[in-house]
Amino acid sequence: MQSRVAGLGQRFGVLAVGGIVGLLVVLPVLRLGYVVWTEGAASLDEVIAQGGLGRAVLNTVLLAGSVTVVAVPLGTLAALGLRRADVPARRWWRFAMLLPVLVPQFVLGYSWTQAYGRAGFTDVALGLPWPSVLGPWGVWAVLVVNTVPLAYLFAAIGLATRAEPNLERAARASGARPVSVLLDVTLPLLRPSIAAASVLTFALTMESFAIPQVMGTPAGFTTVTTTIYRDLSLGSDPRSFVEALALSLLLVALTLLVVVPADLWLGPRLRVTRVADPEGALTLNPRGQGGRWVAAGLGTYLFLGVVVPLVALLAASVTPAVGVSPSPRNWTLDNFRFVVNSRSIDALGRSMTLALMAATLLTVLGGCVAVLERRRAGRAMSSLVTITLVLPGSTLAVAMLITYGRWLGGTLTLILLAYLAKLWAFAHRPISGALDRFPPEQLQAARASGAGPLTAVRTVALRPLAPALLGAWLICFVTALHEVTMSSLLYGPGSDTLAVVALNTQELGRIGPTAALSLLLTLVMLAPAVPAWLAIRWLRTPRRLHPRRVRGAIHVG
Amino acid sequence: MSDDALDRVPAVLEVRELCVRYGEVTAVDDVSLQVRRGEMLALLGPSGSGKSTLLHSVAGFQPPSSGEVWLKGRRVATHEQAEPPEHRDVAVVFQSYALWPHLSALDNVAYPIRRRGVGRRLARDEALHILSRLRVSHLARRRPAELSGGEQQRVGLARALARQASLYLFDEPTAHLDTHVRGVFLDELVVRREATGAGGLYATHDAEEALGLADRVALLDAGQLVQVGTPQQVYTEPVDVWAARLTGPASVVEGTVVATKGDRCVVKVHDTVINVEGRDTAPGPDRVSLLVRPGWAHFGGELPGRLRAVWFRGPHSDHLVDTGQGEVLIREPGPPRHAVGDEVTWTLSRTWPMREAYSRGDVGGRGSVIRPFTPASSPGPSEHRPR
Repeated sequence: MQSRVAGLGQRFGVLAVGGIVGLLVVLPVLRLGYVVWTEGAASLDEVIAQGGLGRAVLNTVLLAGSVTVVAVPLGTLAALGLRRADVPARRWWRFAMLLPVLVPQFVLGYSWTQAYGRAGFTDVALGLPWPSVLGPWGVWAVLVVNTVPLAYLFAAIGLATRAEPNLERAARASGARPVSVLLDVTLPLLRPSIAAASVLTFALTMESFAIPQVMGTPAGFTTVTTTIYRDLSLGSDPRSFVEALALSLLLVALTLLVVVPADLWLGPRLRVTRVADPEGALTLNPRGQGGRWVAAGLGTYLFLGVVVPLVALLAASVTPAVGVSPSPRNWTLDNFRFVVNSRSIDALGRSMTLALMAATLLTVLGGCVAVLERRRAGRAMSSLVTITLVLPGSTLAVAMLITYGRWLGGTLTLILLAYLAKLWAFAHRPISGALDRFPPEQLQAARASGAGPLTAVRTVALRPLAPALLGAWLICFVTALHEVTMSSLLYGPGSDTLAVVALNTQELGRIGPTAALSLLLTLVMLAPAVPAWLAIRWLRTPRRLHPRRVRGAIHVG
Repeated sequence: MSDDALDRVPAVLEVRELCVRYGEVTAVDDVSLQVRRGEMLALLGPSGSGKSTLLHSVAGFQPPSSGEVWLKGRRVATHEQAEPPEHRDVAVVFQSYALWPHLSALDNVAYPIRRRGVGRRLARDEALHILSRLRVSHLARRRPAELSGGEQQRVGLARALARQASLYLFDEPTAHLDTHVRGVFLDELVVRREATGAGGLYATHDAEEALGLADRVALLDAGQLVQVGTPQQVYTEPVDVWAARLTGPASVVEGTVVATKGDRCVVKVHDTVINVEGRDTAPGPDRVSLLVRPGWAHFGGELPGRLRAVWFRGPHSDHLVDTGQGEVLIREPGPPRHAVGDEVTWTLSRTWPMREAYSRGDVGGRGSVIRPFTPASSPGPSEHRPR
């Protein structure tokens, strides 16, 4: 009897979650296809024949390809380098590698223009401007800086789970030099991780909006996403609307063209993961000198990629006007005073509310999918959720707009729905991964010890899964807070977020206020993120019962 | 080559005063030992005793904190300089075999041959030959994931053999080497002994395996060498109670050694004097711990006791007798002779007096039915082990 109730509950769960996925993702995308097919059929030919569009599509594909080709090897190299035992302050570097993704894309792009552009930081300080920072090269460079950490993460996880130290030791003991070990053993073992990183980097670059918008648009460099934005926010004639719809569909089609074959090839290979070896990092050359080179390389990357731009941003935010040298006697807080007005404070409140709600709902929904995908009926759902990871934000926003815009157009709810659809996979992945590592026997043992299903989960599973749940929440929170691709297309009067306010200010060409807003946008993340991160660390530290607290414990030496 | 000539050539492996420290923890503490040509030395110790670390230092995965490692008369590691593993003449069989999942069994075995500079085709031929010697040539094209545990072991061993090394290191292979695999490997040692000389170092926590496989056994505890000897020596004459329990089922009764002559000695247990087989290095009036292995005590005789427990084991039965001076395990052929609670008499045919009374933690040897040992009131100084 009880099992039938449980079965019904599961079926209801699958139906409910499946329904939400359908409403949030499937229906809007189908509707987008339908609208382009019916309403646009006539004007579609004109749209496609337009000269600039082919250019934008070509730019997008070239950009995604060239970023992937450079960022993935760099990230892999960083992961390999950081395995060396002799890298000074290795733990710190591992954390620092994630800094470039903690800075919002908009802020990173904008800070580069302030650092390396004409009249920028290096120009004023050293007389060394890099004029092409505005344009394709700048966009490419910042996207590389922004995506290297992703490739690093994939490679580092791959190294931890696949390249068991004994596999490499066995090669050394078979007479292979370190280079041969790398080529014959380590890299082949990493191949699936590297391939997955490449696919994701490609997809994320295809859909990137903030960086091309800030650095490419002023120089006339267009991509698919910036064209969609231009069409929807500036264009007023129906033709530009049809063009945006067609481009949205084209963007998702192009992405899927790369992702689907790669996923079919990768799927079975990624699933057979070895269990991580507890022995940890391989330390074959504990006394080598290579560690310093690794540290120097990473230091250069972080210094030029993030530190100098952020310092330039800070300088710009305290400088009263362009051309004024950023020396201490010229410092002013006018820019901050200017931007801290009712509009930006309201926007900040909305951003925080959105991010909090999205992160909390997403953790629940991601957890639901992670649990349900273990049942047969739920498997398709998890694939669907994973696809939203590569579903371009612009496409999703446009699809949401034409599906639900009639009722929800310009409201925060529509933005929240878009976030839920887009970030679902962000929450699902870490929770699902933690569940994979969680041995089901532990729950069975709890049940066999007399715990009901809920009690078993609460007492046995919740504690080991807590870091993953908090981590998922944190990822969703930060991403939602920084999101600008979808919110810039969906916002209406009274529903603009802080990121949108910053983007609008930048479009008006106000350097000081934009810099001040950018800093605010970067720093507000810390408010909830630091406590959450500390909590994760606290949860992860293994705590031993003090022997004295356990009465009668036998100390086995 | 005569044995005299062999003695003059350097040992395959010599470890001198080796220490390995990880921060505060000393994993290997001042260990010196040798593996001679054609010899298999077992490193026997409980988990965490430093076996793997010692092996990794010899292989070149872990540099020594102090001390030296010599391979065939050549110094390969000091605390200043350590030769990388690929330049050392060693082959390693790993705990879970560490077969490369992306290579077939054949290519796994061919890998060390390729690294010697042999072409792909020749290397594969040679690898196939080694696999067929281990009777697994039909598995050559399979990936490791498609092999059973025992098959993986054979491929792992084949890969080590393909290295043609002077020293073979076994890092606690998860399953015991089966008779055939062991035979092939020992044959290889003999062949290589005639050619250039080879030896093996086998880390394990399983006494039965160590005693059955090795020419000599080294007992390791908390990174320190406790005793080195032939399997018979460490079994019949362990240096202390810890070593006795590590090397097999051991009972201990309290008594004194009255006199000793050649291979016999007279001991006194319960005021009863008996003449038994066994040597004593320093007879005296002190109370000592008399080691009793399962076959060394029998029913009937002068000593009293009460039967506490009985286990029928098939070919024989084990009887646990409470003697008042400690519990003794008596193993007799056939079904149980007495019922639990019976008053019985028993005697000793052999013993080994131990003055060292360390209890170094619970060893829990296989088949051991002995309760934790309570140290005697005044443990005597050690003569076996300079610490």
